[in-house]
Amino acid sequence: MTFAEQFPIVFEALNIGFLQTLKLFAVTLLGAIPLGLIISFGSMSRFKPLSGVVKTFVWIIRGTPLMLQLLIIYYLPGIAFGNPIWGSGEAGRFVASAVAFIINYACYFSEIYRGGIQGVPVGQQEAGQVLGMSKKQIFFKVTLLQMVKRIVPPMSNEIITLVKDTSLARIIALQEVIWAGQAFLKGSQGIAGQLWPLFFTGVYYLAFSGILTVLFNKVEKKLSYFKI
Amino acid sequence: MKKILALVMACLLMCLTFAGCGSNASDMEYVKEKGTLVVGITDFEPMDYKKSKDSTEWIGFDADMAKLFAERLGVKVEFVEIDWDNKALELDGKSIDCVWNGMTLREDVLAAMDCSQAYCNNAQVVVVPAEDADKYKTAEDCKDLQFAVEAGSAGEDMAEANGFKFTPVKDQATTLTEVKAGTCDAAIIDSLMAGAMVGEGTGYADLTYTVGLNSEEYGVGFRKGSDLVAEINAFFDECLENGKMMEIASQYGVQAAIITK
Repeated sequence: MTFAEQFPIVFEALNIGFLQTLKLFAVTLLGAIPLGLIISFGSMSRFKPLSGVVKTFVWIIRGTPLMLQLLIIYYLPGIAFGNPIWGSGEAGRFVASAVAFIINYACYFSEIYRGGIQGVPVGQQEAGQVLGMSKKQIFFKVTLLQMVKRIVPPMSNEIITLVKDTSLARIIALQEVIWAGQAFLKGSQGIAGQLWPLFFTGVYYLAFSGILTVLFNKVEKKLSYFKI
Repeated sequence: MKKILALVMACLLMCLTFAGCGSNASDMEYVKEKGTLVVGITDFEPMDYKKSKDSTEWIGFDADMAKLFAERLGVKVEFVEIDWDNKALELDGKSIDCVWNGMTLREDVLAAMDCSQAYCNNAQVVVVPAEDADKYKTAEDCKDLQFAVEAGSAGEDMAEANGFKFTPVKDQATTLTEVKAGTCDAAIIDSLMAGAMVGEGTGYADLTYTVGLNSEEYGVGFRKGSDLVAEINAFFDECLENGKMMEIASQYGVQAAIITK
């Protein structure tokens, strides 16, 4: 089979794989961005037992490899309780991956949020109090916007890392783009021993992180209308 | 801090209590109740593979036999692609019910799962570039070569047993890439895989296989203590007797390797 004959087959398979990558990426962001905020509130809580539990949790999640968390989340329910809650098919593997990624990234995001919130000068809140705003108003109208501006660069860092981290999900046999590329090394659809499809997956990651970089630059510019 | 510790302990205790429940029904009843036999596979011609990119159906010698076995149990069959390194985890985690994918009955496999009787013969063979094939006719000729083997495979055992210099790599396909790229002189892989992947008309047309280093056998793996093992052995005996096994084997060109006792 010549390269010209191989290319459309490989291209289609990689596209299907990259769609899984994108799905995992999108679902993780959708879940982790709000969950991270909740976790950051927990770790900043003045109620010591709560902040203690949350901080321990964040330490465990940030202190262990995501690959290990994927294995534990997917296999442990079946092994320890005899109840494979995720199911065996591709859909179950996707849900388990999504849960692991959301928890993991929410913990990283929560620390970024905490930095952003605590970085807003106290004077800003005091100004809100002077104006007679409620606590809720102060958070949403004064602190939150300034926090968002501060966290854009570290968030873009994490989010671009997430694009590439999705490849870890292949450890529980989620068939994302790296898995799809590797299949042609082993032999699939009449193509065996081809290394280029695996290398070619890099193009997908590069293109996508390129798009994200441009997007984040735009967001940063948009938010630069005020200085603090 | 004490409160947190108490909380953690309470959680652990709960986990242990849960762990004690369940798993009292037999494995066969569990599968029948579920209505599906989930078979863990990898894309491995001629055992489990898809005919073309548009087909969703898994075929191959193992896949077709698995379909017959599920029929006998009166359940549906579902094929799930797994990461081969995690096969025992997948079984214990109940995300699959058996591993049926040309699995060599090695010590680590026998320790981690309960296996069927051997149904197919296999050998580990040495793969070298076709132009050098004449130089390597016996294991002795290969002494000075640098080998690539799959980490944790029967091939690695053979390389060790023969005292070869070798590099363990991720999977059997990678060993072939190493030879093709010239980063290793030779690879050791399954003869069935070599038959399908090496030589004229394959992605590795300039490679060939020469020396057979040993012989080994394939079996089907189940969870420890599963009563499906007895069931599948009876099934294999039946299929050998009524010729069904040979019929399917010859469809995929593996009839010579079938164990007929």
